[in-house]
Amino acid sequence: MTVEKPTMIEFRDVHKYYGDYHALRGITAKIRAGEFFSLLGPSGCGKTTLLRTIAGFEGISSGAVMIDGKHMEGVPANKRPTNMVFQSYAIFPHLTVAQNVGFGLRRANLAKDELARRVGEALEMVGLKGYGARAAHALSGGQRQRVALARALILKPKVLLLDEPLSALDKKMREQMQVELIKLQRQVGITFILVTHDQEEALVMSDRIAVMFEGEIAQLADPETLYRRPNSKKVADFIGTMNFLPAEILSEGPGGIEIEAQGLGRVTLAPDQAPGAASGQGATVGFRPETLTILFEGQPTAERESMGTIEEVVYYGDMTYYDVRLDGTASPTRISMRNVFGRPVLDIGARARIAWSAGALVLFR
Amino acid sequence: MELGSRWDRFRRSEAASGYMLVSPTALYAILLLAAPLGTIILYSFLTDGYLEIVRTFTLANYHEAWTNELYRTVMLRSLGVSMAVTLVTVVLAFPVAYFVSFHVDPSRKSLWLFLITIPFWTSYLIRVFLWKVILGFNGVVNSGLMGLGIIDEPLTFILYNVNAVVITLAHAYAPFAILPIFVALEKIDRSLLEAGQDLGESRFMTFLRVTLPLAMPGVIASVLIVFIPTIGDYVTPQLVGGPEGRMVANLIQLQYLKLDNYPLGSAIAVSAMGIVTVVSLLFLFLNRRYLKGPKS
Repeated sequence: MTVEKPTMIEFRDVHKYYGDYHALRGITAKIRAGEFFSLLGPSGCGKTTLLRTIAGFEGISSGAVMIDGKHMEGVPANKRPTNMVFQSYAIFPHLTVAQNVGFGLRRANLAKDELARRVGEALEMVGLKGYGARAAHALSGGQRQRVALARALILKPKVLLLDEPLSALDKKMREQMQVELIKLQRQVGITFILVTHDQEEALVMSDRIAVMFEGEIAQLADPETLYRRPNSKKVADFIGTMNFLPAEILSEGPGGIEIEAQGLGRVTLAPDQAPGAASGQGATVGFRPETLTILFEGQPTAERESMGTIEEVVYYGDMTYYDVRLDGTASPTRISMRNVFGRPVLDIGARARIAWSAGALVLFR
Repeated sequence: MELGSRWDRFRRSEAASGYMLVSPTALYAILLLAAPLGTIILYSFLTDGYLEIVRTFTLANYHEAWTNELYRTVMLRSLGVSMAVTLVTVVLAFPVAYFVSFHVDPSRKSLWLFLITIPFWTSYLIRVFLWKVILGFNGVVNSGLMGLGIIDEPLTFILYNVNAVVITLAHAYAPFAILPIFVALEKIDRSLLEAGQDLGESRFMTFLRVTLPLAMPGVIASVLIVFIPTIGDYVTPQLVGGPEGRMVANLIQLQYLKLDNYPLGSAIAVSAMGIVTVVSLLFLFLNRRYLKGPKS
C-alpha cells in the first residue's frame, strides 16, 4: 500500500488576474486520485477561484490545469469530468427533488424506470430515500445539501468539488455532515476537493490540505504535519493556536540546531523541527497549548521544566485554558489542560511548574 | 360605553391603520371603476329608445352582439391583433430583458431601465402619429427603400391595415413587457446556471431547462399586461389601422358616440371584457405549473 496513487489533478504554475488584481500567484500542486483534499485559507485567499478553475467556471491567465492527465484549457464546464456542490447548493427551485437529482442524466437517455432506479439509489446514498416527489423549495438546509451531493455524485464524476458546503449549516448539523461526507467519500472512492475557511473542518476531513494565503499555497501537507510542523508562523497561527517565544540560534549542525529560547532556555532541536525556509525576520520558537503541562503538587519533576505565573483562567468544562507568563518572557503563553475529576482549577496569580518537551517545539526563522 | 371602548380598541389596531391606508384608493376605485362598470353592465340589459334609454330588461343587445357578422368579425380580429401584438412584444422584449439582466454591468442596470422607459416621455398619441410618418405612403420606410432602389413604388401593405396596428402597439407596449421579464430574470440565482452547465448541459440547454422556466412568471405577467389593454385600444387602430384595421373598441365608440346606442355598445363592451377574462384565465390555467413556486 505504499505505492503512490496516480495524480488526478495537476496545477502547473497557474496564474489568474482580474484586471490588475493577481488572484492566483503561481499555483503548482498535484492532487491524487481518490484523495480527500482541502483548500484552506481565509476569505479572499483564492481558494474558491482555484476550485472554479477546476470546474471550468473560471479561466486562467497562464499555466495549466490538468484533470486525469488531460489539458483542460478550452474545455467548457459541461465537458469536464467534475461536478460541484455549490455554496448555495444551487438546487433548481422549479423542479422536484428527483428531477434535481436526475438533471444531469437527461443526456444519458435512460429508460424511465432505469432513471427512477438510479435517482432512488442516489437519494438513498445521501439518506433521502423517499424524498423524490418533494418540491425542492420545501427542503431544509441540510436536505438541500444532500440533494446537491446526490445530484453531483449520480453522474459518477472523477472529481467532486465542494465549495464551502457546510458553512450554511448550524454547528451540530455541520459536524454530522462532516462525518457523513468522509464516509461517503470512502464509499464512492471519488476524489473530493473541499474549499473551506474552517481549519477544524479541514483537519477533520482531509487526507491532505493546501493552506492558501493571498493567491499562493503556503503549505501542502497531511493534517498532522500541518498541525505539528507548520512551515511558517502564518500557517501555524491560522491552524489552531500556537504560542510563540523569541529565540536565538546558537549553533547549527548536522546533529541539530541549538537555540536559546526565552522562558525555556537552551534546547537542541532536530533538523525537521525547522521545516520552513528562512525569512530573515529573526528566530521564533512555537509550540501548541496542549504540549505543555502544569505540574500539580506531588507530581514528579519532568525532564524539561519552567516556572510561570498564571494570568488568566478560562474554564471550558472538559478543558481549562491557562494563560501563563513564563519567567523571563514578555507575553503570556497559553496552556490547555484536560480537567481531571478531583483536581482543582488553579487561580489567577498562582505560581506553577510547567513541563514541556523539546520535540514539540517548532523553530521559525 | 361598551361600544365606545371597542371603537377605541379598533382605532388603535393594525387593521384600522390598514383600512385608513387603503381607503383613498378604495374610494377612488369604487367611484371611478366599480360604479361606471356597474352602469355599463346595467345599460347592456336595457332597451335602446329614440334619444333615451327605455327601462325594459332585455337580452336582445347580447343576441345582436354575438350573432351579427360584423361584430363577430371585429371581435375575432381584435383577439387576433392582440395575440399577435402580445407575441411580437414578448418575443422581442425577452432578449432585451435578458441582455440587461445578464450582460449589463450591475452599476449600469438602472441607467438601462431608465433608457427603456424613454418612449414614455412623449405622448402616446404622438408616438402613434410618428409611426404614421414612418410607415406612410411617402414615409420614412418607403422613401428609404425607394432611395436605395430596393422597391420601385411605395409599399402599401405597411400602413392602414392590421400590420401597422401590430407594429405600433408592439412598440408602445415594449417597456411593459420588458420590465416584468427583467425582474424575473434578476431573481434567478446565477449559481443555478453554473449548476446547469456543471451537470453537463450546454449554455443553450441550460437556458431552456433552467433560465426559461424560472423566467416564466415574468413572461406570463408580460403577456397579460400587453394582451389585456391592447384588445381595448382604439387610438392606434383609428389612426393607423384603416378600415380593415378596426378593432372592437372602435366599434364600441361608434355605438356610443355616433349611433347613440348605449345598450348595444355596453353589451359589446361587456362581451369583450368577458372574452378577455376567459382567454386570460385559460392562459393562466395552461401555465399554472410555473406560478406555484416558492413564496420567497
